[in-house]
Amino acid sequence: MDASLIWKVFGIAFFVYLFFGFMLLPCLNTLTSIFTVKDPTTGMVDPLAVIRFFFAGKMPTFVLNSLKLAVSLVVTVNIVGISIVLLTEYFDIKGAKILRLGYMTTLIYSGVALVTGYLFLYDSDGIMTSWLSKIFPDMNKNWFTGFNAVLFTMTFACTSNHALFFRNAIRAIDYNTVEAARNMGAKPFQVLFKVVFPTLIPTLFSLTVMTFITGLCAMSAPTLLGYDSINPEIVRLAGSSVADESFPQARAALLSIILALFTIGLLTVLSSYERKGHYLSVSKTKAKLQKQKISNPVANVLAHIYAYVLFIIYMTPVVMIVLFAFQNYPSLRSKSLDMNGWTLINFFGAKDFEFMTNRGKYRTRPGAISGLFANADTVGGIRLSFVLSALAAALACVIVVVAVNYIFKNKGKKRSTALEYSLLFPWLLPTILICYSYRTYFNSNDVWYVLGQNLYMRENVRFLIVMAYTVVKLPFALRMVKAAFYAIDEELEEAARNLGASQLVTFLRVKLPIVLPSVLAVFALNFNALFTEYDMSATFQSSYGKTYAMVIQNMCHDEGRDGYNVNASGRRCASTVFIMLVSGLILYLVYGVGARDLGERLERRTKRKKRIQRLMNRLHLSREKAALQE
Amino acid sequence: MADQLQSMIELKDIIVRFGDFEALHNINVDVKQGEFFTFLGPSGCGKTTTLRTITGFIEPAGGTVSVNGRDITHVPIEKRNIGIVFQSYALFPTMTVYDNIAFGLKIQKNSKAEIDRKVRDIARKVDLSDEQLAKAVSQLSGGQQQRVAIARALVTGPAIICMDEPLSNLDAKLRVQLRNELKKMQRDFGITTIYVTHDQEEALTLSDRIAVFNKGYIEQIGTPNEVYNHSATEFVCNFIGDINRLEDEIVTKMGLDQTKNHFMRLERIRVNRKPQEGETPFQGIIESREYYGLYIKYYIRTAGQIIKVIERNDGINMYEPGEEVKICFHPDNLMSYPKQ
Repeated sequence: MDASLIWKVFGIAFFVYLFFGFMLLPCLNTLTSIFTVKDPTTGMVDPLAVIRFFFAGKMPTFVLNSLKLAVSLVVTVNIVGISIVLLTEYFDIKGAKILRLGYMTTLIYSGVALVTGYLFLYDSDGIMTSWLSKIFPDMNKNWFTGFNAVLFTMTFACTSNHALFFRNAIRAIDYNTVEAARNMGAKPFQVLFKVVFPTLIPTLFSLTVMTFITGLCAMSAPTLLGYDSINPEIVRLAGSSVADESFPQARAALLSIILALFTIGLLTVLSSYERKGHYLSVSKTKAKLQKQKISNPVANVLAHIYAYVLFIIYMTPVVMIVLFAFQNYPSLRSKSLDMNGWTLINFFGAKDFEFMTNRGKYRTRPGAISGLFANADTVGGIRLSFVLSALAAALACVIVVVAVNYIFKNKGKKRSTALEYSLLFPWLLPTILICYSYRTYFNSNDVWYVLGQNLYMRENVRFLIVMAYTVVKLPFALRMVKAAFYAIDEELEEAARNLGASQLVTFLRVKLPIVLPSVLAVFALNFNALFTEYDMSATFQSSYGKTYAMVIQNMCHDEGRDGYNVNASGRRCASTVFIMLVSGLILYLVYGVGARDLGERLERRTKRKKRIQRLMNRLHLSREKAALQE
Repeated sequence: MADQLQSMIELKDIIVRFGDFEALHNINVDVKQGEFFTFLGPSGCGKTTTLRTITGFIEPAGGTVSVNGRDITHVPIEKRNIGIVFQSYALFPTMTVYDNIAFGLKIQKNSKAEIDRKVRDIARKVDLSDEQLAKAVSQLSGGQQQRVAIARALVTGPAIICMDEPLSNLDAKLRVQLRNELKKMQRDFGITTIYVTHDQEEALTLSDRIAVFNKGYIEQIGTPNEVYNHSATEFVCNFIGDINRLEDEIVTKMGLDQTKNHFMRLERIRVNRKPQEGETPFQGIIESREYYGLYIKYYIRTAGQIIKVIERNDGINMYEPGEEVKICFHPDNLMSYPKQ
């Protein structure tokens, strides 16, 4: 057998194994588990027991709550998301650059870090609540809980997609169309609603569907802020036992399948809408959008006020957390800034804690006071998250690059279409369904194709987490890398072959360097998302899979334990700062450095060389001068 | 002249099919050594397909491709030793100009010193400076990128170079300038060149011989003069240059063969000149005119049709619309083809 055939067989076997073993079978198992519950009294299989239970009990509440959240979020996120983009890109608002930075902070911290940040501010003893209660002594200090808190937090947390995609859509508008409308007598707001918005509808539709799904599948905010929606209930049921309640696992399965049905339905609507085609700009020479002045002075002032109120809402948690991360314990405890209380203890501090026991003796708890990098639990979480995320992000990239290269070589053939759809399959499934399915399906010694190993046991769960991370990130990686492969001109491949290069050399030296920046960007973005991911590790609920986000959630718990644990509070602030730094650095590398082509890099290198040369010359001159003076 | 030279590339009964569609039907071409040979035709006529069959990107369903008498029909692309310059240039965007040119030499495992010498040598010949060699291809202008593409194709010393519409991405002025340089380079290197274009002016000015393609067939192979003045088919005479088709009234008046279509080139019609022996004069009125600077094109209504005529802009004769004129032309200059 020749080598290429061996590779082919190996490749097909790998993708079949991946699809059936880690996508289809675990999820099918979850589906069938709903209909195979046994009646506890008779011991007989009762296929509809869970369905009956669903309608008889309070389970619909969770679904309705999730739907309520999703619908509300669609409204609020669209209002805020569209506002922030219009205010920074379309209308002429003073200080737009600063405003944009503020609105984009959600790109560098999200999930658990963001929710705990909001808690730090708005909780019953949070900074803002304490401050507000001084002004309004009668206010309810526990206002930041339940639906309102979740809606408030997620409204401002979920505008990242608007900040990226809606912004791109607005910037792609041909300004000549705006000018043409103005020229025909349209007023600024008429232009906005009649000319600009219609071209943005496809983007808005996609964003709306994505927001709806985000609301439906919300995890960290409802869990931490206390709201009975589907996902936290699935996690609770997954960890519950038959001794406590009726068939908890089957109920969790049912909820996750309901979530999947909603997601599949919505994505089908979205893709059939997308297939109808977009409004494409027909102009050959696009003019760059110029900002519109709001001519009505009252509207202009109101728009400015609105813009800066939003800015304050976005920035306050960030600024406060950064400031308090560098404050000492007394000021953290009193939640008031102390200009003399700056410290690095929350990052590097390591102290023993001395306390008096009931018997009046002093005892020392070694290492009880520890900063972010001195706390074994936290460092362990960071390390675990780092390794698991990097592995999964790299694995997803390798799988996708190999697959896309194959798909492009076999364009239009059935096998390449099958491969593409199998890699897009996880997109249809809510993350929690995948993780829950892994947790239940692989928690046995009967799965032959993983050699009868229980993958949920002990350290094995880490492998399961890497697989879940990888599978969940495959669709995104596929879409991005495929887009990058489209950029390879077919003639480049032919040119390389014509110059004598083999297929492998052509791939390694011509095609790969072209797609490499995109592949690295996909790696970085996936790593970034996974490094602080909460939903998946929360579903696994294993002490061997305590990722960074789980550690942060624990800090949150610790804060409330034994009165107020100021040590955990400080460490949490420091954690958020650390996450922002890591995410910021990654985004800078991806969009700042990675986006430069060879020409720009060479230009920068030449400039750098010249600068160094100038510096050297100056040094040389000053030395000569000094020598002369001597 | 072409017949005396040694044959370099020979296409024999080439048939190419894409599924059920037959793109090339029995193509036969014989390109001589050192010749500048052009495939000319409208888009979709099969000229690029023929070129890609020679370079090996397409394997024909029938027929043979031979170079210097050796059958290369089934030789892999990379072993054919035929250079190609693409329409898009296909320069590798992740490499510098130097690395682009050196790519083929590296694949051939030349020594570093050898590569450096050859790259710099060819760069000098195509007028690329050392500074430009260190740049990224995106930092060069269209014309410079074109030179890099040519240098890259030539540096490995191929026996033949193929060019697929290499000037179509450039603006009009640069196109004319590079066209002359291309011809000069080909003459200097003495390399057999196959050139694909749909631009008839480019084909006429550059080529030693031209093959005119239409719907997967070759209509005519000949020198520019043969193709232009003695077009073998009605398609060729219509495709190359502008031409007048004579309507029935003129055909009858001149006593021409009515079973044929008759065509007359614009520059062979004379305005307000004394008719020579054998010429039939026609009275006409200037309908309109187009001013081109170097010449003027007149649309003259005569004998129930519009006749297009070109007159040198010599500053002596300039006719206004509505003006009466007399035109005449010699039947020897007619090109006639049986009516289909």
